[in-house]
Amino acid sequence: MTKTGMIDFRGVNKWFGALNVLRDITLSVEPREVVVVCGPSGSGKSTLIRCINGLETIRDGDLVVDGQRLGDPATNMTRLRTEIGFVFQSFNLYPHKTALENVTLAPIHVRKIPRTEAEQAGRELLAKVGLADKVDAYPAQLSGGQQQRVAIARCLGMRPKIMLFDEPTSALDPEMISEVLDVMVAVAEEGMTMMVVTHEMGFARKVAQRAVFMDAGAIVESGTPEEFFSAPKTDRSRAFLSKILRH
Amino acid sequence: MLENFSFRTIVEYLPLFGQGLVTTVWLSLISFAGALAVGIVLSAMNLQRGWLFRVPAKAYIDAVRATPLLAQLYFLYFGLPRLGFVLPELVVGILALSLNSGAYVAEIIRAGILSIPRGQVEAGVASGMTYVQRMRLVILPQAFKVTIPPLLGQAIVLVKDSALLSLISVAELTRAGQLLASDRFMPAEGFITIAAFYLLLYYCLKGLAALSGRWLGLQPARSST
Repeated sequence: MTKTGMIDFRGVNKWFGALNVLRDITLSVEPREVVVVCGPSGSGKSTLIRCINGLETIRDGDLVVDGQRLGDPATNMTRLRTEIGFVFQSFNLYPHKTALENVTLAPIHVRKIPRTEAEQAGRELLAKVGLADKVDAYPAQLSGGQQQRVAIARCLGMRPKIMLFDEPTSALDPEMISEVLDVMVAVAEEGMTMMVVTHEMGFARKVAQRAVFMDAGAIVESGTPEEFFSAPKTDRSRAFLSKILRH
Repeated sequence: MLENFSFRTIVEYLPLFGQGLVTTVWLSLISFAGALAVGIVLSAMNLQRGWLFRVPAKAYIDAVRATPLLAQLYFLYFGLPRLGFVLPELVVGILALSLNSGAYVAEIIRAGILSIPRGQVEAGVASGMTYVQRMRLVILPQAFKVTIPPLLGQAIVLVKDSALLSLISVAELTRAGQLLASDRFMPAEGFITIAAFYLLLYYCLKGLAALSGRWLGLQPARSST
């Protein structure tokens, strides 16, 4: 209770109707820590990270993010969200905006950064994710992997303290997965606090300090990625890993 | 069969038809602007979560869509003066068309906004935008594109509906046809001529719809350099 992480779940519960989608979640993520969340579909992993920026609300327990308790009247959720980047499985780029405009929209209108400055930063970010030549392209003209890299640049444009990734490579063709993971590794290596819902073991082993396994809304197992992927402790995680590793 | 058909009379009445056409065009334009205003307000009310605004908006839209325009027009024209509001015919006519068409426009706008995927809202929320910023920067620009073609369809309906204003003696296009029909007893000439003018207006709006469709369709494909 004394120790406060960047993201702190304390006995969090959430229901969708009668379904207990998050069961008594207690989890603390330290600054600069990278935590990978995995588990079978419907286990609550997406819901877990969507609670952190308030895309979902919790029923009971405490969720403290960057020192602010969610649901507290004193917490300005809109303000807090500017500190939290969120990368969606389906990218959710703005189709009517170019890559650069996607990256600069929130910095200009939410952060109130002058346009020229935001555009300069936006170009640099797009170059960083390997898309310097796609600055003026619309999302429809980009491949899935390119769109997801723009989406990551869009989050970075807000200079967030935390980045959340909700199955960022699940909607991608296999040959595009690594280009996105490479960018995520680079972000992690710069010391970003990250929670990543993914089954990409290579990524987890490379940059994550911790892997968390969820099943039926509860955290079943938690350990270093090395321990978890090579020697899972519970039957459920063993069964799950045997399924995703079979091929 | 056509020896009784008098082109000469039509030509003789052309200035009258011309005036009627001009009146139909500008009163339709004003009415459509009014319909857009009514529609925007109604759709905004209708999209609220709380019932306070949503229920009255829904009730209004249902009432308009369930009753004939002619009944609405007569209510405004004959009913309002009895309630103490005496307005010129033209104002009553424009009011009726705006209020009527506004209900349909509201549904078009609402459908356009709801057609934008949930993920777009979430992307805006996640980047810390307020409701107003999300609407202005993310949702409405996209919804706008989707709504243009059906809105022009509604404009076509409105132009045709404006013919009903002839019944409250607004000197628009249909009224011009009626005058020729009754003055000279030439209903064939009168009504075929106005039909031709309505067709002309229809093609103008249809052309505009096609143009806007092509323009909107082309926009996202602007080539990257």
